[in-house]
Amino acid sequence: MTTRMSADQDLVRHLSEVSVSVELQTPDMTLNIGPQHPSTHGVLRLVATVDGERAFNVQPVIGYMHRGYEKLAEVRNYPQITTLVNRIDWVSGYANEVPFIVAAERLLGVEVPERAQFIRLILTEMARIASHLVFNASYPLELGAATPLFFALRERERVLDLLESVTGGRFHPNFNRIGGVKPAQGAGSATRKVIQDLPKGFLAETRAAMDKVLATVDELEALVAGNEIILARTKGVGLLPPEIAAAYGMSGPNLRASGVGFDLRKVSDYLPYGQFEFRVPTGANGDCWDRWWVRLEETRQSASIIQQAIDAIPAGPLLAKVPKIIKIPKGEIYVRAENPKGEMGYYLVSDGGLGPYRLKIRSASFSNISILPWILEGTLIPDIIAIMGSLDFVLGDVDR
Amino acid sequence: MNFWLELAIKLLVAAGIIPVVGMVIGFAEMKLSAKMQSRMGPYFAGGRWGWAQLIADGVKFFQKEDLIPADADRPVFKWAPALVLASTVAILVPIPLGPQVVGRNLDLGIFYALAVSSLSTIGVLMAGWSSANKYSLIGGLRAAGQLIAYELPLVLAVVGVVILAGTMSLNGIVEAQASWFSERGWQFGLPFVVVQFVGFGIFMIATLAELSRIPFDMPIAESELVMGYLTEYSGFRFLFFFLAEFANMFSLSAIAATLFLGGYWVPGLSETQLNFVGPIVLFAKIGLLVFAMIWFRWTFPRFREDQLQSIAWKWLIPLSLGNILATGLLKVVV
Amino acid sequence: MTASPSETAPAPLEELATALAQAVGGSAELAHGTAKIRVNRDAWVEAARTARDDFGLVFFSWLSAVDWSNQVEVGDPLAQPVEERYEVVAALADISSGLIVLLSTDLAKDDPKVQSLVGVYAGANWHEREAHEMFGIEFVGHPQLIKLYLPDGFVGYPLRKSFPLLTREVKPWPGKVDVEGMPGQEDEDEPSTENPEA
Repeated sequence: MTTRMSADQDLVRHLSEVSVSVELQTPDMTLNIGPQHPSTHGVLRLVATVDGERAFNVQPVIGYMHRGYEKLAEVRNYPQITTLVNRIDWVSGYANEVPFIVAAERLLGVEVPERAQFIRLILTEMARIASHLVFNASYPLELGAATPLFFALRERERVLDLLESVTGGRFHPNFNRIGGVKPAQGAGSATRKVIQDLPKGFLAETRAAMDKVLATVDELEALVAGNEIILARTKGVGLLPPEIAAAYGMSGPNLRASGVGFDLRKVSDYLPYGQFEFRVPTGANGDCWDRWWVRLEETRQSASIIQQAIDAIPAGPLLAKVPKIIKIPKGEIYVRAENPKGEMGYYLVSDGGLGPYRLKIRSASFSNISILPWILEGTLIPDIIAIMGSLDFVLGDVDR
Repeated sequence: MNFWLELAIKLLVAAGIIPVVGMVIGFAEMKLSAKMQSRMGPYFAGGRWGWAQLIADGVKFFQKEDLIPADADRPVFKWAPALVLASTVAILVPIPLGPQVVGRNLDLGIFYALAVSSLSTIGVLMAGWSSANKYSLIGGLRAAGQLIAYELPLVLAVVGVVILAGTMSLNGIVEAQASWFSERGWQFGLPFVVVQFVGFGIFMIATLAELSRIPFDMPIAESELVMGYLTEYSGFRFLFFFLAEFANMFSLSAIAATLFLGGYWVPGLSETQLNFVGPIVLFAKIGLLVFAMIWFRWTFPRFREDQLQSIAWKWLIPLSLGNILATGLLKVVV
Repeated sequence: MTASPSETAPAPLEELATALAQAVGGSAELAHGTAKIRVNRDAWVEAARTARDDFGLVFFSWLSAVDWSNQVEVGDPLAQPVEERYEVVAALADISSGLIVLLSTDLAKDDPKVQSLVGVYAGANWHEREAHEMFGIEFVGHPQLIKLYLPDGFVGYPLRKSFPLLTREVKPWPGKVDVEGMPGQEDEDEPSTENPEA
């Protein structure tokens, strides 16, 4: 596998050797970026061989957050796994549960009520907005601009508060149940069994919050997209051709920024996205700027989907009739979903027990950062930060 | 006045001005950045305004443990902050706060000020090298490249002003601005920013680079190098660097205000009145420039090192040379 | 378009799966919307190459393994005994139509070796390292088959069924702690999706 930049580097080295009569022997330096570092999004360690400001042979060292979820899942029953699983990509907590629950439901043969599916869709899109707002705001912070972060996080708090009002948790909602979503029960009384639906006013508030989200997105775009310094730092940096992206398994906005208009929400039916109109934004070049911009556009599309879903949500039960003890019959299934970070999938091998025989978790960020050695070859140190940031990964997603 | 008494007063003022100015500007930065980001800023220290925040920070820094890395070069490590702070104080010597209120009215005023301000480069390099830390080393080397590269536009931008004023003494430059139209009998003078706007722009950009402030803070580059050359500094050594940054903002803005905005002078006041009002006027003008610097810091991201260098060498230096040419021609012709 | 059960996969997937199985000399299984093509161990790399070049499955999604064992240290044992083996599964997809197939091969327990897919898909690199450290499968031809997640001195292969979990030594599965209800809500006829009684 040859490096992209090797031709340029050879030329540069040749020229420098030719013009300078005294050869400067400058030894390379091994620089450890992380695991404690302001910009590595968690405990990621990059071991880079640095010559001046140029880095070669960047090797990521991961596993600092490995919690052994796949092994733990073998000793959990299905409802318990939901609590485990929403801690994988903690920035978009709700979205992690959905493909797993859909996989379990398909193997079990349960039909989920429409209302529950719409609620799942709304909450997933809210998780997407939360995740993308964090990215779109913290990426300029890595480049040095501190202000967009505060504007975006303020809006994100609104969305997270709404999520909390429904599910009880901002980041780890644990709201899905096999057969639907969790119906709130009891309302504080042990004698009266009242099955509650969504909190009063939730739908109206969410709809209003989406308008504010759209306004913040416009504000972010005005603050960041017109700034020549950000454009100079991100345009043309970290180019990712689509063939390489596909070979490495890059998915989600990273793949779409390279020009591939592939969105699992359009081709897969794990949630009723087919009923809503939304665009799939793609980038032109596959550089850092495109990756930032695609996520900004996706936030807009998510807000629009949520508003359409709220207008169209049907009445009905929240949970299908499922047995008290859930044992999923023997079978294998792979279900994947379009998570904010990329494609997340669960390969569920069930043997008819209380829990799975084997659960393979395909997490988006693991594949997304496997490309780091390739993409960081021969880049300048500030560009390492810029490129890494633009891939938008979370260490919990990488390490599971 | 007795020479020794005057000297003592001037030393006290110079020594006192640095912490005071440092704290005031630091506090302004905290509050202004908070307002720009829809936050409150310091809130609790000292009542509702939080004005005692930086005093509290100063006390905190002083009582911290003096940590020096084991592999660090001890004397170099210890003297680096002193050098940076010393150059900041030394810049204040020729800056006139009023027609007679000046540390020393040097004939080579601006030449001396610019020469002394480049001492801080050595201090930064010392800090980066002696810290025995790869991140500090990278930060220190970036700083060396950047600060040296931006010395040139800084100096060249000033040449235009010197040509117009005909003198390098800072008092003389303020006088020249004040009395520009005096042969026509007009009361108001001409702040050089009006004709030397190119020079002013270059000078302010170069000042931001000399201070290592965003958008030119590659040497510190918090998101990449933790704190760059400052990484291993803690406690009162860090306090020196911290204060030195704000005090340097003050000093260089003072030079800019004197050269381009007219210094202590406002139209319509006699000389004795200017001796008293002059400092306030100068501080107001400095305040404007410092506000602009703080504003830029929280709006822009940072340039990459090679982009930074190409701005200096490919844009600012040719522009400033062109500015000198144009100024000289106009001075002779007009 | 709900998450309804489907015993047969939609038509395009079925076509792709049967065509691919025929081309690589394997057998296709379709269930629950998932297509799995079993191939021989020796045809592993060729199958992947055919999938990529002839069928347009250029997207390398993941690679992992399943440890089919009759004796398990953690969790529940299999209801019916199976042939003991490691099953290496790779998921390959098409990025225009969204079809995904699982390619799988079986490895004997005493000889867990298979050719590496790094030559066909560059992204297989990290997935194979993970499968290697978790299952002990050797991928012949991998450029750098070292540990990915686990610390350097780690002994053992964690995802093998023979590898015990320390917490479950103390609290066996399924245990009493796993079956608590909410305090004060031990009703019988609530739709139970809380932790069930064992």
